[in-house]
Amino acid sequence: MASAANANLNAVRETMDVLLEISRLLNTGLDMESLSICVRLCEQGINPEALSAVIKELRKASETLKAPENCTN
Amino acid sequence: MATLDQKSPNVLLQSLCCRITGKSEAEVAHQFQYAVRVIGSNYAPTIERDEFLVSEKIKKELLKQRREADAALFSELHRKLQTQSVLKHRWSVLYLLLSLSEDPRKPSGRVGNYGALFAQALPRDAHSTPFYCTRPQSLALGYGDRSAGLSASVGTSGISSLGVYTLNGPTATPQSLLASQAPQSAAGGGQPLGSRLAWALPVSCSPSTALATLATRPPLGPAVPSSRAIRPRRDGEKTREVSEAALVRDILYVFQGIDGKFIKMSGQENCYKIDGKVVLCKSLRDTSSRLSELGWLHNKVRKYTDVRSLDRAFGLVGQSFCASLHQELKEYYRLLSVLHSQLQVEDEQGVLVCTESSLTLRRLLVWMYDPKVRLKTLAALVDFCQGRKGGELASAVHSYGKTGDPQMRALVQHILSLVSHPILNFLYRWIYDGELEDTYHEFFVASDPNVKTDRLWHDKYSLRKSMIPSFITMDQARKVLLIGKSINFLHQVCHDRTPPCKITPASTSADTPKDAAELLSDLEGAFQEKIDAAYFDTSKYLLDVLNRNYLLLEHLQAMRRYLLLGQGDFIRHLMDLLKPELVRPATTLYQHNLTGILETAVRATNAQYDNAEILKRLDVRLLEVSPGDTGWDVFSLDYHVDGPIATVFTRECMGHYLRVFNFLWRAKRMEYTLTDIWKGQMCNAKLLKTMPELSGVLHQCHILASEMVHFIHQMQYYITFEVLECSWDELWNRVQQAQDLDHIIAAHDIFLDSVISRCLLDNNSRSLLNQLRAIFDQIIEFQSAQDSLYRSALEELALRLQFEEKKEEKTGQWGVTAEQEAEEKRRIQEFQDTIPKMRSQLRILTHFYQSIVQQFLVLLMTSTDESLRFLSFRLDFNEHYKAREPRLRASLGTNRGRRPSGI
Repeated sequence: MASAANANLNAVRETMDVLLEISRLLNTGLDMESLSICVRLCEQGINPEALSAVIKELRKASETLKAPENCTN
Repeated sequence: MATLDQKSPNVLLQSLCCRITGKSEAEVAHQFQYAVRVIGSNYAPTIERDEFLVSEKIKKELLKQRREADAALFSELHRKLQTQSVLKHRWSVLYLLLSLSEDPRKPSGRVGNYGALFAQALPRDAHSTPFYCTRPQSLALGYGDRSAGLSASVGTSGISSLGVYTLNGPTATPQSLLASQAPQSAAGGGQPLGSRLAWALPVSCSPSTALATLATRPPLGPAVPSSRAIRPRRDGEKTREVSEAALVRDILYVFQGIDGKFIKMSGQENCYKIDGKVVLCKSLRDTSSRLSELGWLHNKVRKYTDVRSLDRAFGLVGQSFCASLHQELKEYYRLLSVLHSQLQVEDEQGVLVCTESSLTLRRLLVWMYDPKVRLKTLAALVDFCQGRKGGELASAVHSYGKTGDPQMRALVQHILSLVSHPILNFLYRWIYDGELEDTYHEFFVASDPNVKTDRLWHDKYSLRKSMIPSFITMDQARKVLLIGKSINFLHQVCHDRTPPCKITPASTSADTPKDAAELLSDLEGAFQEKIDAAYFDTSKYLLDVLNRNYLLLEHLQAMRRYLLLGQGDFIRHLMDLLKPELVRPATTLYQHNLTGILETAVRATNAQYDNAEILKRLDVRLLEVSPGDTGWDVFSLDYHVDGPIATVFTRECMGHYLRVFNFLWRAKRMEYTLTDIWKGQMCNAKLLKTMPELSGVLHQCHILASEMVHFIHQMQYYITFEVLECSWDELWNRVQQAQDLDHIIAAHDIFLDSVISRCLLDNNSRSLLNQLRAIFDQIIEFQSAQDSLYRSALEELALRLQFEEKKEEKTGQWGVTAEQEAEEKRRIQEFQDTIPKMRSQLRILTHFYQSIVQQFLVLLMTSTDESLRFLSFRLDFNEHYKAREPRLRASLGTNRGRRPSGI
């Protein structure tokens, strides 16, 4: 049981590593945590198009929020 | 973490928001709401769940960024991923990563732009339409809104649906471009200005409302009309007018000849016109017009091929032309489908595709330039080839290949090779098999089905000059005709069934258009060689067959020997034998008698050693009898020809031969007559020496006879040597050197023509001939006169001798009674009285004869033929006639060598 669980864990870890690698290749800007959240969301059946749209918006929002801060700072 | 966390999506989302924005949960409430909304509304993906496609796309992206190593790496990783079965929705993940990927080359312009833009105050633009920054002053505002972010970094406007897309999800219709109008109402919403991400899209703004607002195309905001000043990179970003993307779509339809929404075919002007109602900026209009030319060209070509493919009588050449046009159009359609798919891809993934490669009118202009040139060439060809078919069509296409532009030349060459393929097929079948299957009359060899085999060589096959393609010279065409004719001749007339491959080693025929193309590229060399080889072999074979099996040359020589009196001993013997027969009136002659005599003559002379085939054909022919004719007038030899020989010795030729024979036979007869006369003279001269009163008459006879002999002698010399021998020599040389049957026929015709004209038998020398005939008549009269003279003289002589003998018998010198002596004296006196009559008769004869000869000489002097003029010199070598004939004196002296002038 434990070995199976371990094996599973390893598999999961491997998968995540691979995905992270791919994500880096593609220059998505996702760190490990975000990536894992995204993967979980996708696995639950969320539409990736929508998800990516959301992420982009979020990013833009964060940048716009940051910029005036920088300016004002 | 045995499996992935089983947290609910909401929770995950919230944590994601926090993570990305880096803020706490409370601050991201708004974003979180938005995220939930978005995700909730777009539950089902609009694109296919194809993992392979996505991975391919990723690879393509990487390659586009020239990161081949990375692409390979990705493939590795993907493979690894596939081997593991942890993920269930690999496709989703990959798609997500792809959509989030950024080109490292591109500066993250967003940030920069935002930085610059947000130096200005935001609130201004709260209610203006944000997305398309057509107005420079509104640019800042536009960026204030989130959507235009992407388009800011875009080089061209392209599918500006990108911005909309992010809001509305993947409703990828061009109409969505205009969904931005919706925000008019939306922007006015009571959004807190503080939200830079002015997600002014109210809940109500679903795609349907976007469309609804689009349909109405509400007038633009106040600032819009000034937006004509477009930044060059923002072409077509007119929210109110037809956008470029819509135009692009339309244009793609127009390319195929289908009327688009805005651009329609205008019948009366025969061009594509943009609908007047459409509001369109000038540059777009121009560009669209330029592009729609392609549609027009396409229509033209298509119409031609469609019409022609229904035409049943168009023929093989025309059909191959249509096929080649079809091929070109297929290529064109392929290009169009690529463009279409490109468009589709963009529509599907508006966000993802780099807008640098999106379709714009400008891009289309550039990409379609080459196809336009090709289509133009095709359309020009189609115009030029209207109404032509067969070889004409090939000539037309060939003439278009003479251009300096290498692309056009290559295109036309390709079409030409396809078009000329059937013609070359015809040609090869014709020259190797002699078969002509040309239902549509496209080939340049025409066959007349009404002609029978005996005229096969001369009449059956002819050249259809209009159908000779311009890349085949006249000489080659003639040779081709000749080769096929020879083969057919061999088959039908000579009954020679040798398969044509024995005659010529049949080289590979033009089975494929590729062969045709190769051949066409080397017309001078390979093609000419083929034709020449076939020509030589076939003609040689034909001549061999004719000479071996049908003894053509032997027959030619036989004609010379028999009809042209070449075999002297035979002719003389024949004349000897025939003389007593022919003197009789013509009506009493029987053909079989004469044939028997002919046989005798043949057997008795060298003619018996001739080929049996030839002797078989020799025959006697009795011409038509007119009243008063003697045998001499109706007798003629004949030579039967049939089969292939008859091609050379046609009926007209045989007619000519018979006429010449007639002439020669008469001349020979004169010679014969004069020989008799001379013989008589020689014999009787001695005998009649005892009658001194006759000496004067006899002297006259002798003189006249020798004049005649001289004349006839010269004539014979002229005929035999200058006419017959020379022409025959020429003919023989030509025949030996002849390369084909046409040469032989031509040489033979020339021979006959020259013989006839020189023998005074043609129309020009009618008067000369009459003179000659008159002379011959005179000779005959003289002969009869002389005969009667001699008869009476010899009778007289015999009687006198008898008297003397009686005297001697009786008693020596005194044995004659007085009355017997008186009787004798009386008789002698009577006889001597007749002498002057004879004398005068002879004198008249002489005079008449000489006048005729003089006239003859005058005519000879003025003839155009040089040899005849020389004949006159020979005839009058001692100027005997010149002395008597003043005309001759004048003409001979002054006009020697000059053209005669109305004597």
